[in-house]
Amino acid sequence: MKLIIHDLENDCFLSKANLLEDTMVISDDGSIHHCIGCFGCWVKTPGACVIRDKYGDMGEYLSKCNELIIISKCCYGGFSPFVKNVLDRSISYILPYFVIKNGEMHHKRRYKNKINLRVFFYGENITDREKQTAEKLVKANSFNFHCEAYSVSFADNIMEIKEKLI
Amino acid sequence: MKIALINGSPRIKESASSYILKDLKSLIDDGQNIISEYHFSNPQVGEKYMNELIQCDAIVFAFPLYVDGIPSHLLNNLIKLEMFFSLNKEKDIMVYSIVNCGFYEGHQAKIAIEMMENWCKKSGLKWGQGLGIGAGAMMPFLRNIPAGSGPKKNIDYAVNQLACNILKSSSSENIFISPNFPGFLYRITAEMSFRRNIKENGLKVRDIYTRI
Repeated sequence: MKLIIHDLENDCFLSKANLLEDTMVISDDGSIHHCIGCFGCWVKTPGACVIRDKYGDMGEYLSKCNELIIISKCCYGGFSPFVKNVLDRSISYILPYFVIKNGEMHHKRRYKNKINLRVFFYGENITDREKQTAEKLVKANSFNFHCEAYSVSFADNIMEIKEKLI
Repeated sequence: MKIALINGSPRIKESASSYILKDLKSLIDDGQNIISEYHFSNPQVGEKYMNELIQCDAIVFAFPLYVDGIPSHLLNNLIKLEMFFSLNKEKDIMVYSIVNCGFYEGHQAKIAIEMMENWCKKSGLKWGQGLGIGAGAMMPFLRNIPAGSGPKKNIDYAVNQLACNILKSSSSENIFISPNFPGFLYRITAEMSFRRNIKENGLKVRDIYTRI
């Protein structure tokens, strides 16, 4: 499955993608709750977030996808609050247990699927430093979510992303 | 000197950020400084708080590392603060940030600290210093250990340095540390605590591995 997480308000071309077979689109309808740091998705309802809004099964969705596309406004070298919220609510995809990789502590994987992560950042005033931070962030996210491959690109506007996606 | 301490943890109580800020407060509270404490546990920072924060000489953020970055609710507040601060040209505020992460290595908070520096620049504020602390889950268990000793030695030393910089309104290199406690023991202890928690919730230890 292809999973698309985005924060675009006018998402008509992505709405069409939602109709495609084997594609799921996660967008902002204003109803998302933020992660409360309870670890319930690890020790209360393992694999699912205890907050049962539309975004409570992100771990499961990630487990069924082989391509993850994130489209986000670049905020200080990171994701926008909505996209970050979705990712914060996705940690049930991994286990609470630890593994040492490259001499560092990381979480073990819960699922065996292989994800190709593609991130598209947009924004008019993204500084070079923010771009550097964003590249480091996606690399770290890819490592922590056990992705098989990742790529990062930047665009001034949505149309540029659309061209890259199609 | 007016100093604001902002706890950016979504947890209402017992957060690692609250314990770190408590230690920091004891070091900067000399009776002359005016210290205000805030808890940004949700995404709705009000105008009243923003008006208070812009009067400060220093703002200290403390928050947990979430998916290699800033928790989304705090990010929401930072965006509101950036818009507010950008409109007010007359300000001279130093920003310090403490990020605690569940992983053992404090340097895994480097990207989040970088984002705070980027936020600072966009908001027209001055960057003071960042402190990345590893093994954040240990913080609540270290509260009764005397300052500067045992597993808290490194953390207290770093918090002391940060406090000195805040009091001098100076900038310094970011610091990334882990507690004086072996990494493998931290891992064993943390995993034991997850197993205990899952049993307390009426589940079996093997349920941790549930696939949906």
